Amino acid sequence: MPEPLKRKDLNGMPYERPAEIENWIKKLDMVDVADRFLQFETLSRKSPGYVPSEALVYFLRRAWIDGLQGDFEKLFRILMKRIEQSLCSAISDSRMAGARGIREEIMERFAERIAKDCRGRLGMLDFYEIRFDKAFSAFRTSVLRQIGPSVVDTVPLVTEKDDGLEVSAEVEAAAAEFLDGDPEKLDDPAFRLELTAAIDCLPDDQKEVIGLLLQGFQIDSKDKDVMTIARILQCDERTVRNRRDRACKALRAILQEENAQ
Amino acid sequence: MIAEQPSNRSEEEVLLAFSVEPTHDRKTLEKYLTDYPEHAKALVACSIELMVDATRSAETVATSEKAVDRAWQRFQSAVSQGEEASVISPFATLNPGAFKELAKRLNINSLLLSRLRDRAIVAATIPSRFVQRLATELGATTDAVMDYLRSPPAMVSGHSFRSTVKPAVTEQISFEKAVETSQLTPEQQEALKVMQD
Repeated sequence: MPEPLKRKDLNGMPYERPAEIENWIKKLDMVDVADRFLQFETLSRKSPGYVPSEALVYFLRRAWIDGLQGDFEKLFRILMKRIEQSLCSAISDSRMAGARGIREEIMERFAERIAKDCRGRLGMLDFYEIRFDKAFSAFRTSVLRQIGPSVVDTVPLVTEKDDGLEVSAEVEAAAAEFLDGDPEKLDDPAFRLELTAAIDCLPDDQKEVIGLLLQGFQIDSKDKDVMTIARILQCDERTVRNRRDRACKALRAILQEENAQ
Repeated sequence: MIAEQPSNRSEEEVLLAFSVEPTHDRKTLEKYLTDYPEHAKALVACSIELMVDATRSAETVATSEKAVDRAWQRFQSAVSQGEEASVISPFATLNPGAFKELAKRLNINSLLLSRLRDRAIVAATIPSRFVQRLATELGATTDAVMDYLRSPPAMVSGHSFRSTVKPAVTEQISFEKAVETSQLTPEQQEALKVMQD
């Protein structure tokens, strides 16, 4: 049986690995060490036999506890290669100034987290044995908030001052057409995927508004107990509407461009 | 609603807990925003990253061994520092004069600086811009200072206690409360409020 995780969730219940990960660990535990490493080295997720990173983290931690330094270094390097791959996609050179340096810094900070875990502190790596990609996305978000560039290179479709109160009729119409005109379109998984990818190109403040709208938050409410976008972002509802309208115009242009290709 | 009730959890810890939730719908985000209002911005950013991550390419790309080497070196250096080194007080080398001078450079007074040194303030409530400034003035990394501030409050060695009452571990208060109750001038208080995240 794999060692249980140490951390507890917000309700005080111990975290557990998903059954699929437990099965992977049990399966890998039974194979020869050399074969296990061969399987770990598969980089492409599409390849058969690709080992989930959650299981990789489990064996990395175990190698440290068992004092298997050589195995530990090998696993560390395999994990870091996977991390670099995912960072190349999330923080591509075309998207962010100084992307390479940022990617390296995130990797190095993650290496520090592994070191802390090895020293028995906090048990933070438990999260990575549950849902590695999601946990790493959270880690990346946190680091980027500290070291990321203030401006991400996004599609420069809108030049108006963001928080100005005047929005052109054209922008308003685009927004209405996009989100209010055909809301059922959002139920179409293909369109939603395409839309989500386009949202990634927006500036952060517009991305926040559209992201929250897609999650079902309303812009404003007279009911003070309702958690609205204006309250979450601590800004005027007119500012939120302006950001939404500009984002919609930009999204419309991105989607049109993609569909024309 | 979003009320300012800071928790003891760091931003990273809250985001990690959020990330491993089975779903990331509005209900889950609302719960986290209510429980951790001090991390609202980070939670919103994280929820959106989780949403768009699924659309990013999973293609393998050529990577450099250099980045992995650097990460390995950082690991080795971090792990060899040891547990003790990571929580050494960055204030440890300051004599009383240097301590006062540091307070002056930060535009605060010795009382507030003492509360920071004694970890009498909930780390998560301290504005990150202030922590960065403190780290710069102390000649330490922001991470090292944050690690120290996050450690449990304790009596710091090297202090003299001349009291008939047994010294106790300080109860932690929020940064906002500390600013209000540290006898700072209105101007100093205002400057610190501007730094709030």
